[in-house]
Amino acid sequence: MSVLRLETVSRWYGNVVAVNDVTFEVGPGITGLLGPNGAGKTTLLHMMSGFLAPSAGSVLLDDAPTWRHPQLYRSIGFVPEREAVYDFLSARQFIAASARLQGVDDPNAATERAIAMVDLADAADRGIGGYSKGMRQRAKVAAALVHDPPVLILDEPFNGMDPRQRLHMMDLLRAMAADGRTILFSSHILEEVERLSDRVLVVVAGRLAASGDFRRIRRLMTDRPHRFTIRSSDDRALARELFAAAEVEAVELREGLLTVRTTDYGALTRAVAPAARRAGASLLELRPADESLESVFSYLVRR
Amino acid sequence: MTSTLVTLTLRALLNRRRTLLLALLGLLLVGAAALLRLGDPTADESLTVTRRLLANFGIGVLLPLVAVIVGTAALGSELDDGTIVYLLAKPVARWRIVLVKVAVAWILTSLLVAPAIYISGIIGHGDAQLAGAFTLAAIAGALEYTAIFVALSLVTSRALIVGLAYVVIWEGVVAGLFAATRIVSVRQHVLAIAEALGGDAAAGVAEIELGLALAVMGIVTLLAVGLAVRRLERVELRGETA
Repeated sequence: MSVLRLETVSRWYGNVVAVNDVTFEVGPGITGLLGPNGAGKTTLLHMMSGFLAPSAGSVLLDDAPTWRHPQLYRSIGFVPEREAVYDFLSARQFIAASARLQGVDDPNAATERAIAMVDLADAADRGIGGYSKGMRQRAKVAAALVHDPPVLILDEPFNGMDPRQRLHMMDLLRAMAADGRTILFSSHILEEVERLSDRVLVVVAGRLAASGDFRRIRRLMTDRPHRFTIRSSDDRALARELFAAAEVEAVELREGLLTVRTTDYGALTRAVAPAARRAGASLLELRPADESLESVFSYLVRR
Repeated sequence: MTSTLVTLTLRALLNRRRTLLLALLGLLLVGAAALLRLGDPTADESLTVTRRLLANFGIGVLLPLVAVIVGTAALGSELDDGTIVYLLAKPVARWRIVLVKVAVAWILTSLLVAPAIYISGIIGHGDAQLAGAFTLAAIAGALEYTAIFVALSLVTSRALIVGLAYVVIWEGVVAGLFAATRIVSVRQHVLAIAEALGGDAAAGVAEIELGLALAVMGIVTLLAVGLAVRRLERVELRGETA
């Protein structure tokens, strides 16, 4: 049972603050680190894997600082986001080299076991240079778990995988978590985190915006006010009708653009068409205005 | 563990076309010696020209050029493309990584330089002692150079450019100008060894004493390795966007 702990951790590069006063703990099971690109996910993962020194605070694996402590890599498997691998090796050679450098007792057996786990046996003797993104990813994962580490840290592991590979990787991570391992992965895709992790950490702009059970955070995200923009043949008449509807919180008509705000996403989408009929307007477009992940995240931060 | 490191480093270096092109550079030296022989020179002429060829082209150009390309790539190419993460994520002492990288770069540099120097020495003048002296001196110099260049690759991401500038400006020009700067010139260290081993034929090629040369050589090599270990222990990895 291994626990990663961050205590009031900050990290800055010159004037740029990448991670700002973050405190959390990651224990056994699968934890998702969710955030938009550039939020500081990689910086956090690199600090936890000992590749980056915290500018302030401490990053600990079972009470030992991870920075400048290479012996800890016996307990950590790290899968970087970067695609670059040793292109001049076959996957089997790459994974075997990892096993040997880890000082595994029986490197060949460990290599075969890891190759089987990521389902790469058919292609294992081909050069990684010719691999697809998804296969590369699996080779990287196999190399990271070849020494059977209690902690596995993965940076955007599902990038570039096709749906089948994605499912397979999710099953693999679930199986490893069921063995009591501590698994932390980062993603900027809500659905991935939702499907896989029991716990989630949301980072936005270097800060921990939310953490805990995914369902609670999901509710926070869906309960927020939603904005839609509407185009129709008669915006003014439609605005009047919409304002009468109970699920509508606010209506704005400015510079020819009709914007509606609601807390109930589903009810509004159902109310728009009848309102248009009553107004005698034909509906041209109904578009959610702020469904990007960034706006979801920034909403969480404001709370 | 060490043998895996050696294999990985060697395969990475040999996989680069650049490394293989360096072998051709050695042929250039041999070709120059062959041209000299074709001119049917007197014994005096062939000695003077061969000595100059070995000192100026072999030790002055071939050795530092090969060492800078191999030395800065031994660890630098992994730092460049980010694959260093696979090495750093292992419970391997950082000094061991540096020592292996320097050793492999040293041996590879020696293999690319020493045969060319020996063969052109033999072709040019036919004196095995002279050729052997320059060859052994070059092998010793290869260690000092590669240690410097491995350390350099951990100090700057433009190690190849900086290294080439150092070879051309410092080793090529500045070090030759003053007595004091000669002491810290790898080229002068190598020539001092060549002179000591080469007997009468090599007399006068060096401008500093052997003892001094060996002492400075040892200190520079140790300092470079020490610096490299210190830097590798503190290498920080950033994300692709950070």
